[in-house]
Order: sequence, then C-alpha cells, then structure tokens
Amino acid sequence: MEYLLIFTVLLPLIGATLIWLLASEGGGFVRLTALFTSLVTLGLAAYLISKYQIGDNNFAVSDSVWLGGDDAVVNVHFSLGLDGLGLWLFGLSALLTVTSVLVSWQAITDRAATFYALLLTLETGMLGVFTARDIILFYIFFEFTLLPLFFLIGVWGSEERRYAAVKFFLFTLAGSLLTFLSLLAIVLWHRFETGNLTFLIPELTAGLREHPIPNDYNHAYLQLLIFLGLFAGFAIKVPLFPLHTWLPLAHVQAPTAGSVILAGILLKIGTYGFLRFSLPMLPEASAQCMPWILWLSVAGILYGAMVALAQTDIKRLIAYSSVSHLGFCMLGIFVFNPLGLQGGALQMINHGLSTGGLFAVVGMIYERYHTRQIADLGGLARRLPILSFFFLLLTFSSIGLPGLNGFAGEFLLLTGAFQRGWSGAPAALGSQLLWIAALSTFGVVLGAWYMLYLVQRVFFGPLKEPVLDHGPTSRGFSAEQPHEHGGVRVHRDPGQGDEEHAHAHPAGEVHRGDHGDGHAHPARQPLPPGPIDMTPREVFALAPLVVFIFWIGLYPQFFLDYLAPAVDPIGVEVTEYIYAEHGPPQQRESAEPLVATGEAAND
Amino acid sequence: MTDDVTIKLLAPEIVLIGIATLIYLAGAFARPGFRPLGFALLGLFGAAVAMLATRDLSGGMLAYPPETMLSGPLVMDLFGHTARWGILIAGGLLVLLADRPREERQAAEYTGSLLLIIAGLMLAATANDLVLLFMGLELVSIPTYVVLYLGKRGPAAQEATTKYFFLSVLSSAVLLYGFSFLYGLGGSSRLDIIAGALREQYAEAGSLGPFASVALILVFAALAFRLAAVPFHFYAPDVFHGTSNANAGLLSTLPKAAGLVVLIRLLLGAMPGIEPLAWKLALVVSVLTMTLGNVVALWQSNIRRLLAYSSIAHAGYMLIGLSVGLAQVAIAPSAEPQEAIGVNGIGTALFYLAVYAVATLGTFAALAYLSTERKSVDDLDELAGLSQTHPFIAGAIAVFMFSLAGIPPLAGFWGKFALFSGTIDLGAPVGGDWTELQQWFFALAIIGVANAAIAAAYYLRIVATMYFRSPETAAAPVPAARPAGVRQEPEPALATAMALVLVIGMGIFPGRVIDVSDAAGAAVSAATPIHVGESLRDSASLLEETRPRGAAGEAQ
Repeated sequence: MEYLLIFTVLLPLIGATLIWLLASEGGGFVRLTALFTSLVTLGLAAYLISKYQIGDNNFAVSDSVWLGGDDAVVNVHFSLGLDGLGLWLFGLSALLTVTSVLVSWQAITDRAATFYALLLTLETGMLGVFTARDIILFYIFFEFTLLPLFFLIGVWGSEERRYAAVKFFLFTLAGSLLTFLSLLAIVLWHRFETGNLTFLIPELTAGLREHPIPNDYNHAYLQLLIFLGLFAGFAIKVPLFPLHTWLPLAHVQAPTAGSVILAGILLKIGTYGFLRFSLPMLPEASAQCMPWILWLSVAGILYGAMVALAQTDIKRLIAYSSVSHLGFCMLGIFVFNPLGLQGGALQMINHGLSTGGLFAVVGMIYERYHTRQIADLGGLARRLPILSFFFLLLTFSSIGLPGLNGFAGEFLLLTGAFQRGWSGAPAALGSQLLWIAALSTFGVVLGAWYMLYLVQRVFFGPLKEPVLDHGPTSRGFSAEQPHEHGGVRVHRDPGQGDEEHAHAHPAGEVHRGDHGDGHAHPARQPLPPGPIDMTPREVFALAPLVVFIFWIGLYPQFFLDYLAPAVDPIGVEVTEYIYAEHGPPQQRESAEPLVATGEAAND
Repeated sequence: MTDDVTIKLLAPEIVLIGIATLIYLAGAFARPGFRPLGFALLGLFGAAVAMLATRDLSGGMLAYPPETMLSGPLVMDLFGHTARWGILIAGGLLVLLADRPREERQAAEYTGSLLLIIAGLMLAATANDLVLLFMGLELVSIPTYVVLYLGKRGPAAQEATTKYFFLSVLSSAVLLYGFSFLYGLGGSSRLDIIAGALREQYAEAGSLGPFASVALILVFAALAFRLAAVPFHFYAPDVFHGTSNANAGLLSTLPKAAGLVVLIRLLLGAMPGIEPLAWKLALVVSVLTMTLGNVVALWQSNIRRLLAYSSIAHAGYMLIGLSVGLAQVAIAPSAEPQEAIGVNGIGTALFYLAVYAVATLGTFAALAYLSTERKSVDDLDELAGLSQTHPFIAGAIAVFMFSLAGIPPLAGFWGKFALFSGTIDLGAPVGGDWTELQQWFFALAIIGVANAAIAAAYYLRIVATMYFRSPETAAAPVPAARPAGVRQEPEPALATAMALVLVIGMGIFPGRVIDVSDAAGAAVSAATPIHVGESLRDSASLLEETRPRGAAGEAQ
C-alpha cells in the first residue's frame, strides 16, 4: 500500500514529464495524456481512501532516509502516509485536478503542453503536502506548489497577470520562510529536550506533548515565537484577514484551472498547517492566541462578505467570498472543541467543492462571453440553463442551504463556536466568544445576500449579453454580432429575436449543434443565436463535485467519521491550556455539552 | 622545508601551472585558429588524476583523512581537499563557459590565466604558511587582471579592469599588513605555530590583546574585498557591469571562494581565541552585506549589475555560516565540535558556497551562450520572451534563479536549510535564559529569512521577464537565431547543462555534498593542525607521525 501511495503522489509528475517530452505530438495528445493521468491518479486516490480504516494514523506509511541519518547532523526522511486529517484533502486534490484539466480543455491553446505539465506537477505538490510525514518534506511540497502556480498565473492569466503572479509568490514565500524557521526551531527544540534528532511529524508531535516548548519570560516566550512564525506562513496562505490582499488579485488574474486549484486546495494548506502543526505541537501558544485569531477570523468573514457585495466582477466577488469562507474554517478550528474542529475541517472540503466549482463555472461563462463583469450579463438562465443550474446549485452549497454540504460544515462550526462561548469558556472569554459567534452567524446571512444578489443579476431578469467580434479570440463560442447599444445587447422582448440570425450562425455551434439553445427550449420563442450551453465535457467536469455536495450535505457523518478521530484529540490539550491561561470554564446550568459528533447536522 | 612528499602533494597545482605555461607558449607560436580548450580540460583532468593519485599520501578526499597533516608549508586536511575538489569542478565549468571563439587572438592567454587562477586558489586552500597563502592569493589576483582586460574591450571594460586592479592591490596590501601583525604575534609565518603561540597567550592572559584584534580586522577587511562584502563591495557592480558575462561569472565565484576559504583557514586555523570577537564581526558584516545587496539589487536593470548585487548578498549568507561556525567554536572551545553541535557552521558556509557557485556559473554560462562577440546580453529587458526564443536556456536560467532564491527542491533550498539550521540552533532560546549570543543569532535568522524573501523578488523579476513577456515587448530582445556568419559556440551551453544537472541533482540528493561539507567544516573548526613533521619521507611515516590534535603546542 505504501508503494501505491508513493506512486499516486508521483504519478502526476511522471505524466507531466511525459507531456513535456512529447509536447510535439500536438494539443490533442497532450490534453488526453493530462486527462488520463489525472483520472488514474484520482482512481488510485479513491482506491487508497476506500482501503483506509477509520482512525488509522499509520496508513500506507513509507519511511526511508533521504538526507543524513540517525547519527548524522540532519535526518530528513522521505516519508509519506495518510491519516484522517489529510485523507479528504488528498482526495479533493485529485478530484479538482480532473476538473481543472477539463475546464482548460479549450481555454488553453497557447503552449498547452507546458500548461498541463505544470498543472500535473502542481498536483504532485498538493498530494505531497497532505501526505508528507516529514516536516522538511512537508515544507518542500508546500513551497513547491508555488512554482507551478506562479507560472500558471503569470503565463496564462489575464491582463495584470505578471503583477498578480509575482505578488502571489512573494507574499506566500515571505510568510513561509518564517514558517520554515519555526519548523526548524521545533525540530531543534525536540532534539535539545530528547536528544533525538527527528524530522518526522508524528514523533515530533508526541515528543512535544511530553516536553512542551517553554512559553515563559526566561525562554523569551519561545513557544509563542514559534507559533507566530508558523502563523505567518499559514495565515497568509489561508488567507486570514488582513493578510488576504494577494488573494483577490491572484484569483482574478489566474486562468480558470489556476483559480479552481488555488481556491479548492492551496488555501486549505494554510488551515491544514494549523491543524497539523500549530495546534498539536504548540497548544499553549494556540490557546494564548485564540481570541486574537478568532477576532481576525470574524473580521475576515464580515469584511470579505461586505467587500464581495460591492464587487462588479464575478471572479473577484467569489474571491472575496473565499476570504469570508476561510474565515469560517479558521473560526471552527480555533474554538478547539470537537464540533468546531470537525466543522472547520469539513468546511475546508466544502469550500473546495463549492468555490472550486464556482470558479470553474465562471471560467465557462468567460469562455463564452469574454467578460466577467456582472453589469455586462443578465438573464443567462434562458441562454445557458444547464450552466445556470450548476451555478445555482454551487451557490446554494456555498451559502449553506440545508441538505447541501455547506450547511453541514457551517452549522457544525457555528454550533461549536456558540458551545465554546456559552459553556466551555472561562468567564473572561465567554462574552467575547459569544459575540464572535453571533457576528459570524451574521456573516452567513451576508454570504447568502451577496451570492443570491449575484445570481439574480447574472442569471435572471432580461437576457443581456456582451457583443463580441468573431475574432480568433472567441474560440468558437462567440455571440452573434447584432444591433447593439454600448456593446451590450439587451433583449427586452424575446419575441423580437431575429430569425435570420439562425442562418448566420457562428462557428461554435456547428460542431456541437445538438447542445444548442434551441434544444433546451423547444417550445419558447427562439432566442437570438448565441453561445451554447454546457458541453458534456463541462458537465463531466462539475458532476463529481455535485455528487459530493449532495453526499456531504445529506450524510455528513460518513465524512466526519473519518475526520473526528484525527481532529478531536487536537482540541483536548489546547482546551486545558485555555483554562490554565484564562481561568476555569463558566458553570452554567443549562450547559449540556453537545455530543462530539455531527448528529446535529444530519437532519 | 620542502621535500618530495610536499612536491607530490602539490602535483595537481603543478600540473595546472605546467599546462598553463604550455598554453601560453603555444599561443605565442600557434596559428590564430589555435584553440586551447582541449589543453585546459586536459590540465584539469590531469589535476584531478593527480589529486586521486596522491590520495594515499594525504588520506584523500574519498578516504576522509582522519587527522590534519602538515607537510612543509602545506596543510593537508579534509577542508583543503574539499575546497580543492570544489575549485576543480567550478574551474571546469568556468573553462567551458569562458571558451573563446576561434578567431580570438588572445584565446591562449585567456585560458592559460584561468588555469593559473584555479591553481592559485587550490594553493591558497591548502597553505599552512602566510607566505604561501599570500602567493596563492596573488596567483588568483594577477591573472584576474589579465582576464578582465582580455574579456571585453572598450572604455567601460578598461575602467572596470583599472578599478579592480587598484582595489585588489590595495586589499593585498591590507592583507599583508594584517599578516605582519600575525607574524609579530606568533613569531613565525607558519599558521600552526602562530596558532600555538596565540593559544598559549590566551591560556595565560585570558585574552589575545589588542594586536590580535587589529590583525583580525585587517585580515577580515582584506578578504571582505575578495568576498565582496560590505563595506568593500562597491567595486563589484561597476566591474561586473563593465566586463563580459564570462568574466562576471569568474569574478562572482573564484575570488569569493578564495576569500571565504582563506578567511576560514586564518580565523579558525591560525587565530584560536579570536572567535568571540570574530563571530560578532562576521555577523554584523553578514547582516549589512546581505541586506544591502538584496535591497539594492531590486532596482537594477542591467543583468550583470543585478547579479553583482546578488553575489554581494550571497556573500552575506556565507558569512552567516562563518559566524555560526565561529560562535560554535567560541561557546564550545573544548568539546568536539561535531559532537556538541548539530550542524557545523563552517560546513554550511562551504555548502552554500558550492550551491551558490554552481547556480551563478550556470547563469553566466547561459548569458555567455546568448551573447555573441559583437553583442553581449546586458539588459534584463533583452531577456524578454526568452522562454519562446530559447526554451532550454530560459528554463535553465529559471532553475538557477529559483535555486538562488532557495526554493525547494533545488540545491539552493538545502543551502538555506543548512544555514538557517545552524543559526536557529544557536539562536533558539533553549537552556533557561536568553543569552546575548542567542539573541544575536535569533535576530540573524529573522534578518536572514527576510532577506531571502527580498531576494526572491528580483530573481522572480528575471523569471517573469523571460516567461511572462513576449519578445516583442523588448527594445532589443535576444534573437532566436544567430545572425548569419556568427558561429555559435556550444561550450557555454554545455556548461549551462552541467550546472543544471548539478543544481537539480544537489537538490534531490543533497546528502553527499552536505556530508562532505560538514566534515570539511568540522575538520577545520576542530582546531589547528596537529602534526608538525618537518621532514617526511613517505606516506607511511607521514601517517605514523600523525599525532592527536592539541599536541601542536608541545611540539614547538
């Protein structure tokens, strides 16, 4: 099994090398190889997940010395393995890569071989991050994910791509270098205390539990310092308000596949880092920083939501919604009780599915209309019903409609936050925490507002489409060139649709005529010819996400069962430190501790 | 006193100098089409063979000499050996990248001088005598003036050469002045005897007195010039700017290696007891150097100027390692350093030097490949869209830039990993209270990573220019094909490819190189040479008379 895991992680890299070597074979070959590789990787990942036993922390563990040795000055291992914490993110990475390959199918024609090679390289980086069991190996994969995305944004992005790529890279790198120092410090402290030089995360976690890093004046608050170093890298990655400024830029400029991966996976590396390193290894400092980080999370939730409300660009709006959603994840994680931790961890997956999907749909809209401006679009539900259906579904998932995945996660973590504020917190913190929980609940309302407002403007109302030239840029999706006002064609009265345009059809529908708009609305008065609805390829890109959206929404316990054994213990020790730091928990008569499962969200 | 063992041990240098002389002679008599590259590679190969052949005498690189051994004015230890091998490999890359076209009349002089520089550097790495050390350094400097003059014509090149000449002479003078203090302190020009005298004085008085500090500062200043460390860095940008890409590659590596190696040899091998002062000096200079280099590099548009500042910054990083190594000796003067301390600071500096040199040489080789006799690549702007016109070269430069920026999984990452491990090891407040030393090194670690982030900005700019812009956006981009009639020399491309393999190889399998550097660093910081055999007849007696270290004092 361990060889299978190594193979799964390295397979995309092999595929990337193959694509790079055989780039001359042409775009079709490249795309198919990329799709095949990502599908096989997904299959293997699914197989591994299916073999995983709940609660197993040593699944498919491989361990070989990479650099140095037991008696040498360094002792870096090449060690991969799966546990409950990384399991779903591992699977999500494999899943979203398939989506990314499919949404790039026609959007990327320039230097396609390099594009897909980079995309697959990125997949290896992501799979590696969530399976690495060595602290240096983790860091290598962590940094390594920057390189492919840097090129993906910089080469295939929109107008401001160079600035966006460099800003993304530098922001993340600056933070992660401090993280690097902290990781080194953790290893060195462990060696200092135990005499055992190890870089393996499980050994370090266990070692630091017995020999906590000191956090007093004499040691210059070492644990806090290390925590802050880790925080710098992970919080920028999340991104936690106010370190989020690189995110909207990178998202807007990135090609669709880049946005999907960035939102779906790369942001989660930050929250994953908190769960993997900060909380278990530095519980005292985590407890110390808890109120600060919670307030930052709430600020991010509200700020992200309010800025999203004001956006005129769909992609930018969704980017800010990510800031808001990741704030929820952080909120759940940093209340340190099982409900919050499970909710936060589940919300990481949910956000990957829904926001990753939303970015994919926005990319499809962009391919058809070459605009992301909300003002240029309207009533697309008539023109693109299938696409609209997917967007609406993903929106509902994103805003937490009960029955879909977003609800399960948000409900759990908000319950966790209230629980912590009501009964699990010292008096000094209790009221603060209740405020935090209440304000973030308000964030849910704002989330529904900006998303539904977006849907209303873009997909409903009178049909409004931008007018495009039949240039080579339109890639077969262009709308007809008709009578227009100010570049945007508004059809107040659908009856006026010109019949003759059906003959002067653009190229796009010729080879896929069976999915034309006429097909979707046989009975209604004909629409003027325009972009076609989603192709089977695009449906196939999104369908798996939808399956999981329903699965998590209807039966979250299945996923929580895997998460719970991994995340529940993390909170126990931190909670003790909270009581040590801020005093004993308040006694309330009505405080009946909620059971540490997701039952509440099941129905 | 010399004898046949010493001569044998010097065989690699002798081979190099012999071949260099041959090339000079051949250049005078041969036809204009004469191409010395083959001879030069033969010389380097011969030197490598000679190193392997004398392995039995010296313990050898592959067999890790267990002890430091002296022979005449030479010190044969793992440190010297590692440095010699590293210099040979770098020399091979340099000879390839600086290969001159057939038509060039002075090709012989150019290549011959390169071999002399390499030989001088190898000599300096193993010298146990102030005079030999100085001679080795001059054998680096004087041919460098020739090479600089031959590299490129024109007023800018003349200015660069003159500037380098005067400042280099000045630094040599300062070094000599420093040596005179050392001689006065130790009563001998031999490093081990000076070390013994200083150690005795330290044991008696508890400090070394003012003259040792003066010697330290003078030596440090002179060698800081070779390293291009602040405040003796200011020549570097102008000289790099004015000279050719190949020469810039030379200047950015070999003199720096000379500076670092000699500095380590003198501070750790000849001046025991100076460490408490020396680590602070190295630390402060390191912080200033890397910060200035990185910050000023952000504004450069000429690529050689940019890389000059980058080389200054990297000198600062190497000094981090030196500072850590000195502090490690300072806090554990009696313990076995390799046991008491995890990562040897000197070893990390050496490893960083290797990693830096390979990536830098590769970059300049790539630039040399892109340049022609008539038009050299000067401006960053000219690289716009290089990924489309020269995908391989652009990819290689990108890899070198990411390595210099320290991004995993490339060699540069392990360089930074090693450096920061050592720094954090010293700087983390463990053991009860936060000592002054820990505070210094903690600050150093933070400043170091901040610098790494700044540095990434300009390296990314180069990558972004090559990949995110099209050739049309530049005023004069590098053309995709050579103009008719201009021959493309393949050797720089070969050097680029070799450097690329090394950077990626050291990135994926860094273990061996780190081990060797660490052992080399440990060998030199384990203190002064141990054996004082004046006349050694053969290798057997050489090994036999090897005594445990620390006996140097009594042996006098």
